[in-house]
Amino acid sequence: MVSSHVLTTLVFAPLLGILILAFIPKTNEKLTKIVGFLATVPSLVLALTLYFQYKAGTSLENYSLKVDWIQFNDFLGKGLFAIDFELGVNGFTMIMLVLTAVLGTLAALASALFIKKEWKGYFMLFLLLLTGMLGVFAAENLILFFIFFEITMIPMFFLIGKWGYAEKEKAAYSYLIYNGLGSAIMLIAFIVLFAKTGTTNIAALTDILASDGLTPVGKEIGEGLKVGLFIALLVAFGIKLPILPLHTWMVRVHVQAPPSIVMVHAGVLLKIGAYGLIRFGMEMFPEQFESFAVLIAVLGVVNLLYGAFLALIQDDFKMVLAYSSISHMGIVLIGLGALNEAGLQGAIFQVVSHGLIAALLFFLVGVFYERLGTTIISKLGGMAKGLPITAGFILAAAMASLGLPGMSGFVSEFMAFLGLFKELPVLAAIGALGIILTAVYLLRAVLAMTFGKAHREFRGTPDMKPVEYVPAIVLTGLIIMIGVYPSVLSMPLETTLETIMLGLGGR
Amino acid sequence: MTISGYLTLALILFAIGLYGALTKRNIIVVLISIELMLNAVNVNLVAFSKYGIMPSITGQVFAIFGMAIAAAEVAIGIAILIALYRNRATVNIDRINSIKDEF
Amino acid sequence: METAWIIPLFPLASFVLLLVFGKKLKESSAYVGIAMTLLSFVFAVVALVDRLQSPTYKAEAVWLTIGDVQLTAGFEINPLNALMLVVVSLVSFLVHTYSKGYMHGDDRFHIFYAYLGLFTFAMLGLVMSPNLLQTYIFWELVGLGSFLLIGFWFYKEEAKAAAKKAFIMTRIGDVGLLIGMILLFWQVGSLEYDEIFRAVEEGTLSSGMITLTALLIFIGAVGKSGQFPLHSWLPDAMEGPTPVSALIHAATMVAAGVYLVAALFPLFTASETALLTVAVIGAFTAIFAASIGLVQKDIKRVLAYSTVSQLGYMMLALGSAGYVAGVFHLTTHAFFKALLFLAAGSVIHAVATQNIEKMGGLWKKLPLTGPLFLIGTMAISGVPLLSGFFSKDEILLATWASGHTVLFWLAVIAAFFTAFYMFRLFFMVFAGESRSEVKEVKESPAVMTVPMVILGLLAIFAGYMNTPWFGTFLGDWLVEGNAALGPAHVEGPAWIMYVVTAISLAGILLAWLIYGKRSISRDWLTAKVPALYNILYNKYYVDEFYQYTVVKATFFVSRVVRFVEVYIVGGAVFLISGIVKVFSTLGSWMQNGQTQMYGAVAAVGLALLVVIYALTGGYIQW
Repeated sequence: MVSSHVLTTLVFAPLLGILILAFIPKTNEKLTKIVGFLATVPSLVLALTLYFQYKAGTSLENYSLKVDWIQFNDFLGKGLFAIDFELGVNGFTMIMLVLTAVLGTLAALASALFIKKEWKGYFMLFLLLLTGMLGVFAAENLILFFIFFEITMIPMFFLIGKWGYAEKEKAAYSYLIYNGLGSAIMLIAFIVLFAKTGTTNIAALTDILASDGLTPVGKEIGEGLKVGLFIALLVAFGIKLPILPLHTWMVRVHVQAPPSIVMVHAGVLLKIGAYGLIRFGMEMFPEQFESFAVLIAVLGVVNLLYGAFLALIQDDFKMVLAYSSISHMGIVLIGLGALNEAGLQGAIFQVVSHGLIAALLFFLVGVFYERLGTTIISKLGGMAKGLPITAGFILAAAMASLGLPGMSGFVSEFMAFLGLFKELPVLAAIGALGIILTAVYLLRAVLAMTFGKAHREFRGTPDMKPVEYVPAIVLTGLIIMIGVYPSVLSMPLETTLETIMLGLGGR
Repeated sequence: MTISGYLTLALILFAIGLYGALTKRNIIVVLISIELMLNAVNVNLVAFSKYGIMPSITGQVFAIFGMAIAAAEVAIGIAILIALYRNRATVNIDRINSIKDEF
Repeated sequence: METAWIIPLFPLASFVLLLVFGKKLKESSAYVGIAMTLLSFVFAVVALVDRLQSPTYKAEAVWLTIGDVQLTAGFEINPLNALMLVVVSLVSFLVHTYSKGYMHGDDRFHIFYAYLGLFTFAMLGLVMSPNLLQTYIFWELVGLGSFLLIGFWFYKEEAKAAAKKAFIMTRIGDVGLLIGMILLFWQVGSLEYDEIFRAVEEGTLSSGMITLTALLIFIGAVGKSGQFPLHSWLPDAMEGPTPVSALIHAATMVAAGVYLVAALFPLFTASETALLTVAVIGAFTAIFAASIGLVQKDIKRVLAYSTVSQLGYMMLALGSAGYVAGVFHLTTHAFFKALLFLAAGSVIHAVATQNIEKMGGLWKKLPLTGPLFLIGTMAISGVPLLSGFFSKDEILLATWASGHTVLFWLAVIAAFFTAFYMFRLFFMVFAGESRSEVKEVKESPAVMTVPMVILGLLAIFAGYMNTPWFGTFLGDWLVEGNAALGPAHVEGPAWIMYVVTAISLAGILLAWLIYGKRSISRDWLTAKVPALYNILYNKYYVDEFYQYTVVKATFFVSRVVRFVEVYIVGGAVFLISGIVKVFSTLGSWMQNGQTQMYGAVAAVGLALLVVIYALTGGYIQW
């Protein structure tokens, strides 16, 4: 295959699945599930190929692709405005692509297990969502990024609204309104950038914004406008991450969406917020980012503690996990706010690590909800008696989540705090309280569910099926692999980090 | 005689047509008002083709086109109207609302 | 020594194998665990013997790159590490063997062995780490092993609570360690022990920073080693199976705090304040825990408080600059305390209770356990010629030499307490008439008694590694070539040894008078000063204090945050959506479903656009 087509195939391969699904009768449950699952596999294979090719020494630039797409003249004839179809990959986006592809395939498997109705529509939407997520990370220009970003939103709305739990409609609307608002703000910022510079290519924009003077289309970008654009992007991606107090939608989605969808939601979609902050906030507006760094770090600590305190008094395990996601995204902000290599690397590690851990936890939620019919902590209890393997995996996932060394959560927490302690030691010390609180709320919830006297008869409730082992073991394995040998992630990141650090003035 | 006279006539015709189309309840009158607006456009086309900055025959050709389309439109419109009238026994547009969403 | 990296991998292999195949192996899982730890022990002994002749060996590889800094992973065999490797792998091997008898018949036998393997792996990894980060990693992993094993009988509510408490309280300490480590990293630019010591020596660190980091790291040690005020998890940890208490909560893991302070000794000695804090906390914990131990009724709790107290002793030694004394006591304590716990386990196995008031008269019925328990009791009480006597003597000498007279006398009183409560325990359990509800008391099988016999021999003879009479081999070897660790042996006035002997004999005598001969009423304390008895019996109400302050405060903050979440954040969202709804009501007035209204709006809109066009010329400049 020509290497420049790899990315296109990777991104659009799930659409092929939609096409095949269209010809499968609605009633054929088994075939629908098989096709829905298999359609995610090509992307996974390609993403892994990309990773191993990179390991073997192939330059990632070979994979970038640029095709003319839309061109038009400025009304006053001051320059040519062009939107190209540009896909590309660097170390950071490659990691995100691999993460998305892995979680996509595992979530498809989980969907086949947990979704109980209308598989055809479900898988068509799911595959569209997957294309959107892959596209977001492969897009090399703002407009394309925006289009893929929107593509993720619409299937998500229906997936939550139709296949979720009791209050699914409310959650779906909440999701749509918040994210629609976010993407509107983002679109305005993108269009202003486009109108001012005549290009939407991220690399080109980074260069233009870094240099003083007029843009290629002869316009000026003042400091005030730059700050305004940066704030707009901060808010837009802050909703997605989410940053306090823009988080209420995300709690609803975590609780109401089906577990297989939360796997990709918590695992990938939230990470688009972090990805956007790094690629657009940090790369394109380094100076503005620097002046906001303290605020971002403070927001990070607030997120961390706020989420942790709230997770401490929830009675629904899904709520605990929702607030724990908020808390863990605080660590991403802490790392970014540190503005040094350790912090940034920690933030990216946390993005990947939390993606894997949250996916694992929600997969397990699906597994035991399937058997016990509830996620209310006080109604569970003694689960280790009836479902020892499930309980064991839950405990392992909780340990990963609270940052046990040897698992990925520790590496990211360690680096994020390492970064922040260099710049703002007092703030970091306050944030370190969050490490204790994380242990407290996770153990409180998990031990109340798995340990103690059994609240019910477990006789006849089967433990995990062999096929359910696959996601659990793959995710646990990846978490441990990153924890034991973090260089698998840090090596591809090196160049990206250096570029960003250069932009920040080489701290 | 300058172009402004024709344009004024066209404007008046158009305004009358617009007023009728927006206010009348009788659907036949609404249809007639739309025809008035179309004819105002035709007057403009012809006027510009004679007195415009770059006079050309194209405008008049367009006017002929417009008439043909208007004729076709009236034919279809009246056909729908008659079908509607047979069905609902009214020409009041306020009462033709069966696909309106009722919350 | 080059192959020492394999030592921790055997137990790890045991963990993985038993997790995967344990269910099929059932009770033969024990053989996997025992064989693997035996291999570890053999390799550890080889490493120790190697290290006796050759210098310190260190090997590392890059683990993670952050910018220009490379964090490494590897292992280091210095005297302290080599000694710890042997102690840990030996005790672990013995406990693995013993557990085969003790855990016989448990449903989750293989899981127990898997967890033991995991713990042993982490503990062995911990004691051969060449840098602080790796120490921290294994530090947390031993915590995990301890947590899993305390909560092994997960269906007991007490075990669940104890496991949670152990994890959280040690985590509080760990955060201190983490912060201290990070601060050191930015000051030194590396986490290698060698680099840190070099920086301390060369004076690149300000003295304030040394004190701060040393204290923060000490908080970690306080949490792990059950020092005051983070001690209360350790007695609760006795909810775990008794072999676990012997291995983790007596001999190895809880000593990790002491090991950490010892491993970072040059950092601590560079700061007077830090050293004094260590000494004061150690001495206070020693007497504090010993006083609680005087009145407890659960055989394992008495031993647990004695562990806390003895760990306080070790801290006191280190804080008094007695490096050798601390490490020496750590070693001897590992042997006699493991012995005591295993013997206690044997007793519990026989009479099926932990309440010492329901025991008694077991000396004849348990002909092996009884004498072995007596050996352990004598060793810990400091009876001359047993191991505890020599190591305790070293500690008191070091304390005296450092000039902390108050701390010295505190330690002497604690020694008196120790002798008293240990013999109280012994007499209650083994002397007098039987109060047991179990009719037929049987001695434990050989698989349990043989490890106890080995530990008994060690409890007697381990002290001769380092005596003022026959030579201080251990001390010489530990400090050889490293001036920062202080002298191998501190000379002190001879009367100290006599005082200590007299004090512990007095404690034993008192215990005998009350519980053995019964010439003094047992209830004199309860009758005379019930308030004091209650305070001691309820452990100074420390748990209650935490419950009403820290726990309540945390949940109070949680409720405040929930208020913010529901009413302030939620309220703001409600308000904004309300405003939008008002506007949408206004807007819907125009969308009344009449085509003509839409037409009118479109026409007005068009007119507006035309006006704007006319005014601006069609292009809005901005």
